[in-house]
Amino acid sequence: MVQTKKQKYLFLAFCLVPTFLLFSIFTLYPLFSGLYYSFFDWSGSAASMEFIGWGNYVRIFNDSIIPRTIMHDYFLVVTKVFGIMILATFFAVAIMQLKIKEAPFYRIIFFFPNIMSVVVIGILWTFIYNPSMGLVNSGLEFLGLGSLTRPWLGSETWALPSIVLPSIWAGIGLFMLMLMGGIGTISKSYYEAAELDGANEWQQFWKVTLPLIWPQIKVSILYIVITTLNGSFIIVQVMTGGGPNNSTHVMGSYLYQQAFVQYNFGYGAAIGVMILVLSLITIFILQIFLRRDKVQY
Amino acid sequence: MKKLFTGPVLLLVTVLFIVGLLAACSSDNDEVNGSTENNGNNEEDNNQNNDSNDGDAAVSGDGDISGELEIQYFVGGYGDSWWKEVISDFEDQYPDITITEHAGPNINDEMRSRWVSDDPPDVVYIDGAGSSETQMVEDGQLLDLTDWINDVKAENGSPLLDNLIVEPARYDGDIYSLPLVFDTWGTWYNETQFEAEGYEVPTDFDSYMSTMEAIQENEGIAPFATTGQHPYYFLRGALTPAFGAAGGDELLADIVTGAEGVWEREEVVATMEKVAQMQEAGYIYDGFGAYNHTQSQMNFLLGDHSFIPVGFWLPNEMANDVPDGFEFGFIPTPMQDAGEPFAIVPDLRPLAIAENASNPEAAKAFVEFVFTQEYATAFSEHTGAIMNLMGVDLSDNENVPSYLIEANAMINDPDQVQIYHRPHPMSADLETPIGDALISLMLGNMTVEEFTEAAEDATADYRGE
Repeated sequence: MVQTKKQKYLFLAFCLVPTFLLFSIFTLYPLFSGLYYSFFDWSGSAASMEFIGWGNYVRIFNDSIIPRTIMHDYFLVVTKVFGIMILATFFAVAIMQLKIKEAPFYRIIFFFPNIMSVVVIGILWTFIYNPSMGLVNSGLEFLGLGSLTRPWLGSETWALPSIVLPSIWAGIGLFMLMLMGGIGTISKSYYEAAELDGANEWQQFWKVTLPLIWPQIKVSILYIVITTLNGSFIIVQVMTGGGPNNSTHVMGSYLYQQAFVQYNFGYGAAIGVMILVLSLITIFILQIFLRRDKVQY
Repeated sequence: MKKLFTGPVLLLVTVLFIVGLLAACSSDNDEVNGSTENNGNNEEDNNQNNDSNDGDAAVSGDGDISGELEIQYFVGGYGDSWWKEVISDFEDQYPDITITEHAGPNINDEMRSRWVSDDPPDVVYIDGAGSSETQMVEDGQLLDLTDWINDVKAENGSPLLDNLIVEPARYDGDIYSLPLVFDTWGTWYNETQFEAEGYEVPTDFDSYMSTMEAIQENEGIAPFATTGQHPYYFLRGALTPAFGAAGGDELLADIVTGAEGVWEREEVVATMEKVAQMQEAGYIYDGFGAYNHTQSQMNFLLGDHSFIPVGFWLPNEMANDVPDGFEFGFIPTPMQDAGEPFAIVPDLRPLAIAENASNPEAAKAFVEFVFTQEYATAFSEHTGAIMNLMGVDLSDNENVPSYLIEANAMINDPDQVQIYHRPHPMSADLETPIGDALISLMLGNMTVEEFTEAAEDATADYRGE
């Protein structure tokens, strides 16, 4: 059953060429054509376009809305990373360590939002935030906290924080499962040893659980950051459309507005390149910050 | 297994796979011909376009119209029943023509790739999100109709252009489209509620404010709402007629072209002060910022608000959601000073022919076919709105809703309503930033001075300064 060199290369070609071809068509080609269009003044709805060099990139630096969209994106990144990771870790530890009977039930309940489309989640939460008949304001009034009711998504101050909540709600389940997988691989003997040494539950969490599931936490954080920078525009588009007065625009939704509403496709492509560059820089920095020596007991 | 993966077979499979992929990714123009994209909610009319793939049309020596004709039309609040009737009649009149319809609420986005690849449909009705007449003219996508349209006659023998209520937009003197729908934005209210509660229907800004005060006190609601997700509704529905009333066509032209200092003019600032007054009095619903198009209209119908500025599509679009006893009442938005007539600025939805139409003769025949008294009357019956053709008598027509007859009579009475015109619609690059600042003003987060500054910045950006 010894393969000849030719057979080996043919088999490798069979595996790699189609994959590379698909990757080229669906990833590299759009990437480079986006880069190409970013150097043109093009409406995106006609065949004619004009080469303007770095014009669209110069415009990015002069556009007062761009810094706001970047701030909004990173606000979502930070709040989502902390919100999702804290809650997902808490639930994962609670379900795994407390050995409750209803664990499978909670696992399904927490994972449920991950099965739903982001668009459905956005529409659902738009109703929840509805000022006159939504759950949030009705709940506050029921609790006698009527003074706290407000038009959540219609307020320039509260619209962006209001988008964080459904984003966290929708994200917990997946990362909870990932962390549960990590916790499941930790040998019980570590906890028994820690207990014999007099460590309480908190100390066990900080000294045993957390260091041993760090690889899963790191991957989760990177995943949340990437998906937020690239995908948060969907929920923004559905819930507020970037408004009121650009107070919820993220880079992606602003790209959409420029490319498809204001007919500045070339400028939209340049914003796309900016998102790519910022994502790469962010991930690079995070890799440095999250680097830790692998823990083994 | 070993035999299956021997060299030549493996190579063949790989090559076939790659060829298959390339073939799947290549463009296929034949597929486009004869395709029909219809709104999923409507009855599809595929029978009309199945057997003809003749490609380009032919005009025979005696001027007969034949071949395939592709028509793109947006289906929104006006529905598509009028289009179905017109297209069916056109096919009866020209049996050698096969029409392919591209229609639906998202048709502008769906057809974008056709326009980008210079393979557009022949006739396009420009309306709805994702379409812009100004942009299409700038991109050279529309056929110059100037010479042709001057020779087209109406049924009465006079030039068709003389029979239009509003003349076509001109770009450097040239005509690229014919305004088909004479829409106008105004303010809607519930006639039944006003009669029952004795509220006065506003006739100017002062009476508008006093009626809103009465409603606020009596009903405990914020009387006015609009969609905050689309700030141009207020811009077109309330501010544009207000500017028409305050400064006429000249001011409107300066507003849409972004003339320097236009937002600092006395009459413009006075209008913006009126908006600020409405906000300060609490008449503008503070949650409007999150309303989308449908929510704002729905909450109006539910009685959460008493006034909403939208176009003539409202009754037709919301026909299935109108509560019992609700009667639509329409007035031009009353932003003008006391003693002055209402102002209306027509918002036209045009019909155009593509520069690269494959069957321009049939396209011209279709456009000519549409602009007749018969179809103008049918348009009002089907949609509850007005087609841009003079001489259509709706007063005794039982099939036309009463609000339209009243509005039509009002619009045609110069003592009550003055009609103003914009040279062309405002560009999205100017309308978007001004609309954003407008939302802040209406939410009370910006003063009139700050708004003026933001609007002037937007016009400077638009002019490229």
